[in-house]
Amino acid sequence: MEFLDQFTVTTLRAATPILIAGVFGLFSIRAGIFHLGIEGLMLASAFSAVAAGSVSGSVWIGLLAAIAVSLALSAAYWFLIDRLKADTVIAGLGLTALCVGGTAYAMQTIFDQRGQMASTVRLPRPVSGVQDGPLAYVSELTVITWMTPILILAAWILLRRSRLGLQIAAVGDYPYGAEVAGVNASRVRLLAILITGFGCAVAGTQLAVGDVAGFSENMTNGRGFFALAAMLFGGFSVIHTAIGGLFFGFADAFGIFMQLNDRTGLPTQFVLMAPFILTIVIVTGSGILKRRRNQP
Amino acid sequence: MSIAIRLLGIGLPVLLAVALSLVLFSATGHDVHEVVLGVTEGAITGFGSFWQTLRWTMPLLLIALGFLFCLRAGEFNIGGQGQLLMGGLGCVAVALLMPGPAILVVPVAVLVGMVFGVAWSGLAGYLKVRFGADEVIVTLMLNFIAVLFVSWVTTGPLKDPAVRGETASTPTVDSALRLSGGDGMSIRLLTIMALAALVAWLVAERSRTGLQLRYAGEAMEAAHWQGMKVDRLKLTAYLLAGAFAGLAGALEVLGPNGRLVTGATPTIGFTAIVVTIVGLSRVPGIIFAALLFGGLQAAILFLPIVSDLPSSGLKILEGLIALLVTAQLILRRGRS
Repeated sequence: MEFLDQFTVTTLRAATPILIAGVFGLFSIRAGIFHLGIEGLMLASAFSAVAAGSVSGSVWIGLLAAIAVSLALSAAYWFLIDRLKADTVIAGLGLTALCVGGTAYAMQTIFDQRGQMASTVRLPRPVSGVQDGPLAYVSELTVITWMTPILILAAWILLRRSRLGLQIAAVGDYPYGAEVAGVNASRVRLLAILITGFGCAVAGTQLAVGDVAGFSENMTNGRGFFALAAMLFGGFSVIHTAIGGLFFGFADAFGIFMQLNDRTGLPTQFVLMAPFILTIVIVTGSGILKRRRNQP
Repeated sequence: MSIAIRLLGIGLPVLLAVALSLVLFSATGHDVHEVVLGVTEGAITGFGSFWQTLRWTMPLLLIALGFLFCLRAGEFNIGGQGQLLMGGLGCVAVALLMPGPAILVVPVAVLVGMVFGVAWSGLAGYLKVRFGADEVIVTLMLNFIAVLFVSWVTTGPLKDPAVRGETASTPTVDSALRLSGGDGMSIRLLTIMALAALVAWLVAERSRTGLQLRYAGEAMEAAHWQGMKVDRLKLTAYLLAGAFAGLAGALEVLGPNGRLVTGATPTIGFTAIVVTIVGLSRVPGIIFAALLFGGLQAAILFLPIVSDLPSSGLKILEGLIALLVTAQLILRRGRS
């Protein structure tokens, strides 16, 4: 039982950033934007949270800084792809590359640290002080993990039950039709990208001051791309994307478990490959489903 | 559209990226004059610098030429990095394990490297054309898998027992098999590069396949109804991309690196995509852009010696170029 508790908690911890980035990334995907900058936004947010949090001494200022930075970068991304018609994919990859270089540069220039820096603040853990029993592991969960169901619900309501959600779907599916119906497609795309940026900020904060207390170069290590895979896996539905995110958390936890309890002699690298292989399987599966749906 | 306008369309974003970076460097207390001098020295004027620029031009040029075929076919194969690594893996395995004279081993090693690249790219291509698996995600994931696989090989089966510490690598291949010295470039490698560029140009611009690829990319339905086997054409593009990237990996092993190292060139594959775009998706343009980014890469490695600017500063410049380069200050290439 104890093992199962630990495993569940590890899964939740690993899943939180991917799940949040995935669910909020849906806003961009639904608006027709294949947003590869998610990875970079998460990384920039992780750094901002550690930097602002450590300087101010408050983790909430860290979170606010992460949100501000992520929204600013998202707005710039929107301007480039919407107003200047830049290629969504290349500009997205460029945004990610910029954030990889930019966070390393800022860390060295501002804090004179190379490779990694520690954070002096951490996200609060609402359930704490329990020494034994199943709750002992639950106390490791941060406030963001506890808030995740509410965030998912909020995303679902916004996407499926609000005027904006309908407009986003319309702009993504029939951009010209939406324009003709009087929707300002440009503005809708901006809102969608900003909402994604908000999600990336929360996800990045959880990664840097929730899980581990610190920032290291390229610490997102593909999680933003996992989030994209979770969306494809979920067929762009909020709930299914969340399940996809959990699945990645599970694979991650399984990798950690295998590393700690290695009795099979399987090399670590192969265990670490699991989520990447899983993504390919998922994307292939969703491709097959999509083709089947499109055929009469 | 006239070539002058297209050049301007590419030149403006690049200049803008350079200007923004210099403003940033200046604002963070670095002497811009010194940085520019350092970059120039590291890429062109310094002793042996241009040789280093050519050394980095090689993988960028080869991967970019391969990416060109996929781009023409409307396929966004961003797996150059993984294909490069797998190419290096195939090559180093042959170079280390196959007995025989160099004149036999070298071609086999290069060929096996290309086959590995083709297989890695072909896998993504097959999943795309057969099952409709999104190629952007699949090739991204294959890049991560290749990094882990090479990491396993260099710490396991082909580990160099002499190497300790963080960077794992295979043993160095026999010096008789090397195509260049440790300085990274040689007339032989330059010849191979030139031949590869020529072949790419002939296939892309002067062959039936090249024309059909472009047609399939730009008007898939029309190509299909004209009786072209669109799926097979697209798969061909993936195989060509894999062959070029695999060749790049093999030449890295037999040339400058002399062995397979984990984490040696983590972002070359991505930069190569930008090279293709900056090169206006034409072979001559790509050669020019590869030299430009090869110089930048040489400068990234050289700059810490002469300037206090962190090398991540130049990575910012690369990221900015990628971010801005397709922005329509004038032109448009669609992918929705």
